[in-house]
This record gives sequence, C-alpha cells and structure tokens, in this order.
Amino acid sequence: MTENIPVLIILLPLCSALLCLALTALGRNLGIIVVKLSCLASFVLSCFQLHMVVTGGTIHYAIGNYAPPFGIELVIDSLNAVLLVCFSLIGFLTMIFAENFADKKRPMLVGGACAETALLITGLLGMTSTGDVFNLYVFLEITSLSAYCLISLGGSRGVVSAFRYMLVGTIAATLYLLGIGVLYSVTGTLNMGDMREILSAGGNERAMMTAMCFLVPAFGIKMALFPFHGWQPSAYTHAEPGSRPLITGVMGKVPAIAMFRFIFCIYGTEFGFVRSFLLIIGVFSVSGMLYGSLMAMGQTDIRKVLAYSSVAQIGYISLGFAIGTPVALAGAFLHMMGHAFMKGGLFFCTGAIRYKFGTTDINEFGRIYKKMPLTCGLLTIAALSMIGIPPTAGFFSKWYLALGAAQEHEWIYIAVLVISSLLNAVYFFRLIEKVFIRHSSELKDRWQSEALELPVSIIIPIVVCFAAILGIGLFNVKLVDILLMTLEGVGL
Amino acid sequence: MRKTITVILLIIAVFVPFATSDILPVIGDPQSAPNTHVSDYYIEHAIEECNSPNMVTAVIVDYRAFDTMFETTVMFLAGLSVVIILANRPKKRIPAFSSLKRLKTADGRPVYRTINKDVMISVIEPLILIYALYVLFHGEVSLGGGFQAGALIGMTYLLDIMVVKRQRPIFRLSKAGSAALAGIGPLIYALTGIVTILGGGLYLEYNKFPLSVHQAELHSIGITAVEIGVTIGVAGTIITILNALMERTYFDDDND
Repeated sequence: MTENIPVLIILLPLCSALLCLALTALGRNLGIIVVKLSCLASFVLSCFQLHMVVTGGTIHYAIGNYAPPFGIELVIDSLNAVLLVCFSLIGFLTMIFAENFADKKRPMLVGGACAETALLITGLLGMTSTGDVFNLYVFLEITSLSAYCLISLGGSRGVVSAFRYMLVGTIAATLYLLGIGVLYSVTGTLNMGDMREILSAGGNERAMMTAMCFLVPAFGIKMALFPFHGWQPSAYTHAEPGSRPLITGVMGKVPAIAMFRFIFCIYGTEFGFVRSFLLIIGVFSVSGMLYGSLMAMGQTDIRKVLAYSSVAQIGYISLGFAIGTPVALAGAFLHMMGHAFMKGGLFFCTGAIRYKFGTTDINEFGRIYKKMPLTCGLLTIAALSMIGIPPTAGFFSKWYLALGAAQEHEWIYIAVLVISSLLNAVYFFRLIEKVFIRHSSELKDRWQSEALELPVSIIIPIVVCFAAILGIGLFNVKLVDILLMTLEGVGL
Repeated sequence: MRKTITVILLIIAVFVPFATSDILPVIGDPQSAPNTHVSDYYIEHAIEECNSPNMVTAVIVDYRAFDTMFETTVMFLAGLSVVIILANRPKKRIPAFSSLKRLKTADGRPVYRTINKDVMISVIEPLILIYALYVLFHGEVSLGGGFQAGALIGMTYLLDIMVVKRQRPIFRLSKAGSAALAGIGPLIYALTGIVTILGGGLYLEYNKFPLSVHQAELHSIGITAVEIGVTIGVAGTIITILNALMERTYFDDDND
C-alpha cells in the first residue's frame, strides 16, 4: 500500500468532495465531517511521504503502471514533498475554519462550498505533485474553476471580482495550453522528464523561446506576479471568508512551482535565453515588490492591505527564481512555505476579527489585543515575519535570497529587498500600532456568551499557524537541507 | 496605466510566434516529433494492451485515464458552481419556465394540428435513452463513449421538462439531488482506480482488478466502469445546470 501514497494524497480530498453533496443530503453535517477527515488523512499521508522521500529519494509513481512517456507520472522529489505537507496542512486548517462562516439554514450551499474547497485542495496538491505537463493543465483547470466559484460566493462584489479573474484566468490557461502545444510539436511528449531529455539535445532554441513567451505570462497571471496582478486584490478581498486563507495563502504559490519546473527542470540552465528570461522575471519581481508595498500602505481595509502585500511577497518568490542560484531558490521555496503560513495566518486573524466584531477596517482595531489576545499574537508574529525580523520564517527566507543575490553580485536585488522590507515595516507597524496602542474603539461583540475568546475551530488554525511561522524560522537549516537535496543540481 | 502594461505584454506574448512562424512542423509530416515519439507506441500497442479496437478510447480512458478523471470532475465542478452561485441566494426568484401551458384553440384542440408534441415526445424519449445506452456500451468500439451518452441522457431530461407539462412527473431531480448525482459519476471513476489499488496494483491499473478473468477482459471491464461513471457525471451536470437556470435569482444581496 505504501507505494500508492502519492496518488492517495490527491484522491482523498477528491473523493470526499465528490461524495460531499450526497452525504449532505443524507445528514446535515455528514459531508463536512467526511471532507475534514479526508483532508486530515491527506496531511498525515503527506508527512509520511516526506519521511519516505527524505530517507529513500525521489518517488516516481506511474499511474496505470504505464512507463512514463506513455502514461501519466507523479514525481515527488524532496521539494514537492515539503510543499505538499505545508499545503495540505493549510487546506485542513481552512476546512476546520470554514464551518464558522457557513450559513446553517442552507445546507446545500454549505455542502457545495465545502466540496469546492476540497476540490481546490485537490487541484493544488495535484499541481504540486504531477510530472506531466498536460496533467498540470487539468489540475490548473480544477484549481481555477473552484477558485472562481469560491470567490464569487463572497457577495455581489465577489461575483464581479470572480468574473474579472475568470476572464484573465482563461487567457492564462489558453497561453499555457499554447505554450505546451509548441513544446509538444518539437518534442512529441508530455512527460516533464522525457521533455527535458529531448530538449537538452539542443536544436529547438526558437521553439523553446516561443513557448517560454507563452508560459511566463500564463504563470504570471495565475500567481499574480506584477504586472499581471490586476485581478488579485479584489479577488482576495471579496472571496468567501471561510476559504479565504487557502486562496490567499496557497493559490498564488502553486503556479510559481510550475514556473520553476518549466524554467529550471524542463528547460534547464543550458537553454540559451535563460538569462534573458530570468532578467525579465527579475524586473517584474523588483517592480512588484515596490509597487505592492506602496499600494498596501494606502489601504484602510485590512483585507486590501494584505492582498496588495501579497503582490509584493510573490515578487520575493519570483526574485529567488530570477537570481537562480540553489541558495536563492531555496530561499524562494522557504518563502513560499513561510508566506503560505503568514498570509494564511493573517487571513485567519482577519476572519476571526470579522467573526467576532464584524469589521475589517484597520481604524476600528483600537486595543483589540485586550479582547482577542491569541489572534493578536498571531497577527503580530505574522506581521514581524512579513517584515523579516528574526527568528521568524520571513527573516530566514529573505536571508537566503540576499545570500544568493550576493553570490551572483546582483546588488540591485539586495537593495530592493531591503527597501521593500522597510516599506513592509511601515504598514505592518501601522497595523500593530492600531492593535496595541491606539485608543480602544467601541466594538460590538456578536457572540457575547462564548467562554473562550473564539470557537475552538478558529483557535486551532491560529495556534498552528503561530507555531508554523516560528517553526519554519527555527528549523530553517533542516528545511533548506531538504530543499537543497533537489535544488543542488538545478540552479545556475 | 497598469492595464496598459498588461495589454502591451500580452500583445507581445501573442505576436512573438508570428515573428518566428516556422517553428511548428508541417501539417501531416510523418517525420515530425509528435508523429514519431509517443504516438508510434500507442499505434503499435494500444489494441493488444488495452483490448480496445479504438485507439482514441485506449488513450483517453486507459493510458491517460487520470486526466479524463479530472476532466469529468471539471464537469461536476462547473455544474456545482452554477447551481450554488445562481440558485442559492435568499432573495426573490425568477422562474425561467413559469407557465408552459398547453396552447389550445377555443374548441379544445391543440394549436399545432400537424404534430402533437406531447405524444411525439413520449415516443422519442425512450428511443433516445436506448441510443444513449448503445453509445455508452459500444462507444469504446466506435466513436463515442461516456460524454456523448451522458449528454443524450441529460438532453432527454431537458426535453421532457421543457416540452411536456405533466401533472405527475415520472422522474424529477431536485437541485441537491442532481448535484449529488453529478458527483457520484466521477466518484465511480475514482473508485474504479481504488479497486485496482485494493487488487494489489497501482492506481487505474486495470490488469489488477480482483476478478478471475482474462487480462484483456479486465481492461474492457475497467473501461466500461469508467465510461459509466463519466455518463452519470455528465448527465447529472446537465440536469444540475438546468435546475440552476430554472431557479436563478437576482444578485442584489450584498452581505459584504
């Protein structure tokens, strides 16, 4: 049975999502309980898989037992394994968290939203673990469609932002399809490893360049890289509150992994134009880091602040790709994990504050720490991590990025990294000031009778995110060692 | 400003291939990469390995069955999204087909004298359903299969609900029921793979069904099970979308 773990991690959320509506029709909470249990099982299996990968090396899982170029293959290397653990954990936490925002009077809506979230998790996990470029497209479709639906469930503005995202996202999917179409026409295969071997024989430089021109905007749109981020702030702001941590925390990272796979694993650094494309991505990242931070400073709605801050943070991840040394790539992936928990955690906090007081305006957060100490603890640690204060996750990922940039003598990147961190400090300290120092404002508690600060199902995600941000920071050396097992051979 | 940048970049991305238009192989070139690498293997081995006379079926539901499973899930996802976005809002409803009453002249006869659609529909519907089953079970031999069979079944339901105004409907699904049905279809597909895991194989490895028949038969069983799942999924999705359109609501509740 253990050899089937890679596929079971994807299948468990899928099957529970497909069953969810039938079970909801049988018993009101039955479907949601099954989905939660399957997400938990998926997380446990991915932890076990990480152990297998670290001790036994990369796993190749051929679906249907057909040899790789002919069938579909899942490839779990140490990179995928670590990220799968993070993503399935955030998926599980979101599933627990989401029940507080469900409208109990409409069971079908609750079951449907639950199924959509589970399908989003399926798509994200599948995109992370697949080793086939067309299979990646299918998972991209699942991810996008469920995300459109979840964003449009957040009221009328959600519908508008989902529609905008759908238009842009469809263009991205088409560009991706055109890109892999060009690659298929010169290689005749869809398997990533096989494609790598054929392309590395040389002679296809122009086709590869054309395909990359399609792929960079495609993934750029999906990961909301500046200047393709137009859909992102409103979509993150108006998404359905229950599933928002998953959408904001994980959805932007997974296309970044796909971009990394195409640039470094399929094309490889011997591709002639790789430096030019990395420079373009670098320019996008640097502008995004400054633009996102500047825009975030001007917002008063905390959701908008965090959404614009995501534009900047995605810039850090792609900056790691643009630098391209193994250390910088490790920094990018460490930031991917750290930021998944930071942004997910900040949106858990936002959701908790909204659940308790019904507000998302920063100016009303006066001395909210007295009323919600746990939430504000996470808010503070996540904000410090965003700025990059040791010993949180954000400091170490920026440290590795800067280290990689210094090795390549890319001083501009380091300068922008520092400036962007300082800009982060401006708006996150403004948030911390509102929470701790500003005069307390009159906020009406919507749930007077609660004994605890919040329901347990909100406290668990908050505590886990708190631990994860500190844990990724404190055990960064071990994580980077695991990441470098894969990254050593691929960088510049 | 930011829109301009996006548009310019997209235009550049679109026009680059026209600048280098000779990168694609000539149409029908037997020596081009897509015609020599993987497809040769499929042409040589599909029939003996998958026991399917139709190579397209062999590729879709055997070699690349994993993709097809998620394509079916995309169908379910689309239907589910439509129904929970359109038909699950609290405010007033616009019935789409409110009064499809039978049009009659003053003396009670139907308006259309040449054809009585109520009678004709009850003759046509069983025939469509039989054809749907034919397409389902013989689809892997000829051109066809689960998607087409599901579309036929869904269209039968759609015809029935739109044309005939019955006092007691023979077969009606609520929106929750149809969405659940649309999910059961892909689930059958997914469980087919789980059964092969329980039989000791890898996912969707039809050779490892825990049944004691010849290996070629196992592939046929696997392909049929998968096609049944696809049929149910597609039929359920079409009915779900119909239900959603019939109960659609305004978007004027802003709970933000």
